[in-house]
This record gives sequence, structure tokens and C-alpha cells, in this order.
Amino acid sequence: MIRTEELLLNVGPQHPSTHGVFRIIVKLDGEVITEATPVMGYLHRGTEKIAENLNFTQIIPYTDRMDYVSAMTNNYVLVHAVETMMGLEVPQRAEYLRLIVMEMQRVASHLVWWGTYLLDIGAMSPFLYAFRDREIIIDLFNELCGARLTYNYMRVGGVKWDAPPGWLDKVREFIPYMENKLEEYDRLVSGNEIFLARIRGIGQYDAATAIDYGLSGANLRCTGVDFDIRKAEPYSLYSQFEFDVPLGKNGDCYDRYRIRLEEIRQSLRILKQALASFPDGGETMGKVPRAIRPPAGEVYVRIESPRGEIGCHIVSKGKAEPYRLKFRRPSFVNLQILPKLLVGETMTNLITILGGIDIVVGEVDC
Amino acid sequence: MKGMLQGLGVTLKSMTAPKVTTSYPDVPIVMPDRFRGIQHFIPELCIVCNQCARICPTDCITLTGKPNPDPEKKGKVIDTFDINFEICILCDLCTEVCPTEAIVMSNHFELATFSRDDLFKDAQWLTDNNTLTRQDNNNIGAPAKGGAK
Amino acid sequence: MLPWLNQSLTWGNALVLFLWAVVFLFIVLGFVTYAIYFERKVIGWMQLRVGPNRVGPFGLLQTVADIFKLLIKEDTIPRKADRVLFIIAPALAYVPAFSVLAVLPYTQNLYFADLNVGLLYYVALSGISTVAIVLGGWASNNKYALLGGMRSAAQMISYEVPLVISVVGVILLSGSLNLRDIVAAQSGGWFWDWNFLPQFIGFAIFIIAAVSELNRTPFDLPEAESELVAGYHVEYSGFRFAFFMLSEYVYVYAIAALTTVLFLGGWHAPAPFLEFVPGIVWFLLKFAFIVFFLFWIRATLPRIRVDQLMGLGWKVLLPVSLLNVFLTAAYLELFIKN
Repeated sequence: MIRTEELLLNVGPQHPSTHGVFRIIVKLDGEVITEATPVMGYLHRGTEKIAENLNFTQIIPYTDRMDYVSAMTNNYVLVHAVETMMGLEVPQRAEYLRLIVMEMQRVASHLVWWGTYLLDIGAMSPFLYAFRDREIIIDLFNELCGARLTYNYMRVGGVKWDAPPGWLDKVREFIPYMENKLEEYDRLVSGNEIFLARIRGIGQYDAATAIDYGLSGANLRCTGVDFDIRKAEPYSLYSQFEFDVPLGKNGDCYDRYRIRLEEIRQSLRILKQALASFPDGGETMGKVPRAIRPPAGEVYVRIESPRGEIGCHIVSKGKAEPYRLKFRRPSFVNLQILPKLLVGETMTNLITILGGIDIVVGEVDC
Repeated sequence: MKGMLQGLGVTLKSMTAPKVTTSYPDVPIVMPDRFRGIQHFIPELCIVCNQCARICPTDCITLTGKPNPDPEKKGKVIDTFDINFEICILCDLCTEVCPTEAIVMSNHFELATFSRDDLFKDAQWLTDNNTLTRQDNNNIGAPAKGGAK
Repeated sequence: MLPWLNQSLTWGNALVLFLWAVVFLFIVLGFVTYAIYFERKVIGWMQLRVGPNRVGPFGLLQTVADIFKLLIKEDTIPRKADRVLFIIAPALAYVPAFSVLAVLPYTQNLYFADLNVGLLYYVALSGISTVAIVLGGWASNNKYALLGGMRSAAQMISYEVPLVISVVGVILLSGSLNLRDIVAAQSGGWFWDWNFLPQFIGFAIFIIAAVSELNRTPFDLPEAESELVAGYHVEYSGFRFAFFMLSEYVYVYAIAALTTVLFLGGWHAPAPFLEFVPGIVWFLLKFAFIVFFLFWIRATLPRIRVDQLMGLGWKVLLPVSLLNVFLTAAYLELFIKN
């Protein structure tokens, strides 16, 4: 048996496909990975520590920057935690606006994932198509709250801005446009034989492994476990709307791909229902005390972000600032399965698997 | 084979579709009214209540006041007002809590400068920045509107 | 052209030939410049954007600006790299690409060399570029470059074989390796006399193997940007990198011209009533179509994985190309000879 030397290769932190500053140290034997060690922390900004000196309204812009691709859900998890702790009522119109922007954000986030995943796999054009459609959503958010990426939109007790005149009609027009585009994406990519050969059977794991590692979101549902927090522990107005939760069977990258595309469709369905039953008038902010001081105690709430389960744990000592604020970030937890999945794979499949997990490094490091 | 041919058809059709890019520097981008660009300051309206400096998440606003030069009136007027633009995140909380709408956002977003010194915007610069000011301010945090004290 | 090429090699003749070669070099460089420009434009249109349009009118000087930028860059050679091999590799990649252009005929009377084994000369020289890529990967002293070079060597060797075997059918039908004779054998007057219809299996295999030989998407593993960060030419900067890119585009020229000659009837018109249009125009149109097809594929298809690539080359293309040879031979034996 000829003894060949093992190659220690450093993927990142500067690399076109690691979705941010993220490093993986792989030991290669030829082209096969024998061991992979992810190294994170290059984007750590100390959000949780900074939050100990700020009151809750001031923390909201910081949450935008954690998972910058899906900022509305981050805003929501924080304000929902505070509202749960203080027992505040959110007016109906504000809840509807929150739900509409969260579902639009889900579509936008999945579009970013789709475009960049295909770019990693080698197809250049779907990236541009995905961003053309995401641009429409981002422009709608720009009209709504004044920013394209870091919205600072939700407040404890409601939302900051009401929908400007004509905005809801634009969202209504967007829904059939996006459904049409999903058909186009299927024709461009989903039937492509090269793409299917690249994706099927890669990065497979079963339901027991997924639950052991604490995966969530599409990574959990691809194995067939039917767990979506919007259905299991409904928050906001999700219990009032009808939508399906797409499930996979095999637990490989192809199932995750199909699930996320289907989730876009289901989000559009929720949007249609929400716009149909949108209340005509109403407040956008509820009755909120002048100083937001949650009572002493702790709370943990979780919601379904496009990446999985994002949770917010607040320990409060009765002051305006939290004593401890912790975010359970889905990308961070979902990444734990990476070393296990990569053993025995080739370098090409490393990129495919990493893209399929859908991480945002701002969220991994917080 | 069929999937690939369908894909080729999609790209061929897109070749003649209308382009979605804009020629940016030649064609300026018009932002909607609510866009959060760099601030505009109106010194006459400021009552030096310090709410904006207190709410700023990154502590980028520093201001000092002086007693009102007019002996009849009470209160303070603004003396210096600086925003350190290196750390301002354009979050808009300062305009939200201002009780008199003395500080408002504009729609200017082309803010790159050649030197870091230019990023420290003082009261004169902020007052002069009076074009494309945002009309709809929605300062829900101001005490007059029932916000935080 | 033929009587003039058959003259004896005096100093005067040699100088004239050299000057013609220089003129041709400039034509090829002009092609490369505008092929890169059109690639960016066409792929841009397919991606709903405009492509370069600022440098010069309609962006026509974009490639010139890019080449100029590459030329004025600092020439870095990594300290532990193998200097001699590092410097030779780009030149070695370029030389075969340019020298195979000698045997391509453009019209009945416009060609540079009339080798009786023109096709063999072509496929033999195009194998040398593999050596250059491996050299470039090895001499860079960089693990990514090495991986890219190894992948590329495996890929190019695997696809040379079906490439060559797929043209054997054409050789059987034309009875000659001389490229001008091959074009003459497709001169029935209508487009269905061209070799791409009788030899459709060979044509399909040739196209797939040619895209793979050019290292273009979907077979661009050696320079897979998102995985290997530019593969075998990651350490090359400035002029040497420009050489690798240049050799790739000169190869595009060579393959497109070869496909036109072998399968699309060279300079023949598609129908007899269109023969008033000069042959060079038809050649250029077919050539441009093939180049557009390469750009179109690049904009659409994702990349194939390396083991699937090997599987495709050896398990699918090779047997099918052998089958093609067998069928062509059987057809000739049974229907033509009788």
C-alpha cells in the first residue's frame, strides 16, 4: 500500500463560496476529505454583550445586522420576546403588517439562497434572476420603512410605519409575478440533468441525526420530520391562515432545495390570504408604557426564520436594559452537522453541502 | 436532455427581454420619501432635551446647549451638534424621539468622502443639508406623541 | 494559394510567410479581443443586464482596457515556485493553440498550409496544452493550483480520446485527413449534405468533448471559481495570466473553425440558390454561431463534478463514439461499396 501524504487545505476565510468570512480546515487524501474542522468567529461583533447596555428599542437595529438577509424575522423575535414578558397587546393591523413583511422576507431570503447556491454550483444566470426578483421586494421594503436591508421596522408593541398608500396593491401585484417566476426557475434549473446529478444523494442524514444535532428549518424537514414552529407553536397570526409545510423524504441536498422553493410558494399563499383579510383601519402601535421595563424574570420565545428556529432568551432584572440577552441562532446550530457530513466527501461536495445548509455568517457569529 | 434544453430556452428568451439594470451615475436613483439618508438639522427648533443623544444605539450624537440669549425666553438653545458619521447606522431612532422634529432624515445616500475628517458632520453641515428632506417623519417616540420620556 | 505555397523556401519567401503569420496573429488577437467583449455582452443580455458599455462607444474598448491593466500589473512569482517551469507554462499553453491554426482552410483558396494529415496534426498538437496546464499548476507551489492542474490533466486526457474517435466517422466518409478534402466531400449544395446530419452521433460527441477540451462551463473544473479559487492559474498575475486567457480564447477560435470545417460544411452555402454569397461569409456565419453557442451554454448550465465528468467521458462518450465508427464503417461497406 503506497502511503500518500495528507493535504491540509484551508477553505476560507476569504473564499467565494463560504457565504461570508468562515473558515473550514480540511484534511484531504487526494480529493476525499478525511476530516473537516469549521472555524468561526471572524464576524463576531459582540451583539449580545452590547445589548446589556441598551434598552430594547435601541437593540432592534442590532438585531437587523445579525442575519442580514432576513432582518424582519430577527426584529420580530426580539419584540415578541419583550411583548411576551410584559404581556402587551399588539393591535390587529400591526400584526398583519408584521406577518406580511415576515413572509415577504422569507421569499427574499430564499431567493438569495437559491441564487448563491446555484452560483456555487456553477450556473451564473440564476443569481441574476433571483436578485431581479428580490429587488422588487427590497424596493417595497424601502417604500415601507426607509431602508433596503436593515429595516429597524418593528417596535415593542407594534410597528413603526403604516403601509403607505398603494403599497398593499403593489404587494398584491407581486404575488402572481413571483409565482410566474417560480415556474421560470423550475424550467431553468430544477430539471437540469447536470444539476440533479450534482445534488441528489449528497449530504444525506436521517431524522434521528437531525434531531440529535438540533437542526431546524428546511434542514430538519428534509428528513421527513414535520416540525414548523408556525404550525407547532403558532405565533402572530399564523394560526388563522392555511398553508402547507413541505417535507422531504431522503434528507439530501435535493430535498432541501425542493423544500425551500416550495416554501416560497407557500409564503406567497399566506401573503394572498393575509392581504385578502387585511383590516381597513387600526393602530400600528399598541398601548406601550413610556419606559419599556420588563418585570424581573426570563423568557424564551422562538419563531421560524427562513433558516430555521431563531430563539431569543431574555433575562431581566426589572431595568430598561436586559441583564442577559441571548439569541439561539439557527445558522450556528445547523452548522454543527457540517464536520460529520463532510467526512468521505470530495471538495466539490463540500461546497454543495455547505450551500445546502444555508448559513449566513452574520448569524453564525452574532 | 430535456431539462437542459428547457434551461437553454429560458436564457435565450431572456436575451431579448427588457433589461433590469439602471445606468446609475448618469441616471440618479430616486429614493422613496421614507428613505433614511443622512440627517438634516434645524437649530431653531432644537430644545436641547438630549433625547436623540440618549436613544442613539451607537452614541454617535454629541451636543451642547447654551442658555437662551434672549433674556425673555427660558430654556436652552443649541450650541454645537455633531454626528459622528463613522458610526451612525442610519437607524432613524433620533428622529423618532425628537419632540420638535428638529432633526429629520433626508434622502441623500451618496456619502463617501475622501478623508475621515469629513465624516464628522457638525451643526453647520447638517443645517446646510436641506435638500431632499424627508416629509413623513412619524416620530412616534416623542413625548408629544405619547412616546418614551 | 497552393502554387505559391509550393515554391522553394528562399529568404524572400520565408520573410513573406513570416509577415503573413504576423498579420494572422493580429487577426487572431482581434478575434480574441472581440470574442471576450461579445461573451460579456451576450452573457449580460441573457442575465437581463447590459454588459460592458462605458469604455469606448458601446464598451468596445473594454477588453483593450482590461488587457492594458493586466500588462501593467506587477509580475509576481511566488518565492518557492519553480521559476523556470512557472515562466514556461503560459508560453507552452499558447504555442499549440496558435500553431494548430495553420491547417484551417477558410475558403477554397484561402488557407495557410495544405497538410495531407491536417486533422492528425490538429489533434496531436492540441494535446500539448495539457502539459502546460499541469506545469502551471505544479510550478505555482500552491495546493489549490495543484488540485486544479491535476483535475485538468485528468479531464483533458479523458476527453481527447472521444474527440478524436468521433471524427473518425467524418474521415471515413470523406476518405481523407486533409481538411480541404473533408470540406469538398460535403459539397452537395444543400445543408443536409453537411456532416452534422449523417454523423449526428459524432457531431454530438464532438461538441461535448470540444467544450470539455476548452475548459469551459459545464466542464470548467480546472478553473472552478467557487471551489478552487481559480485553479491552476491562481498564482499567475499580469501578463502571464493574460497568456492563459489568450490561449483559451485562441483555442475557442480553433475549435469553432474545426467544427465548421468538419461538420458544418466549411464555406458551402446551405442551399444552391444562396451560392452568390461568398464562401468566407458562410464560414464566418457558421463560426459565429458556434461561438455564440459556447457562450449560451456557459450562461445556462451548472458545472459537472469531477467524478461524474470522468464517468461521462469513459463510460458514455467513448463507447458511443466507437459505436459511431462501427456504424459508419458498416454503412459504407454495405451501401456504398456495392
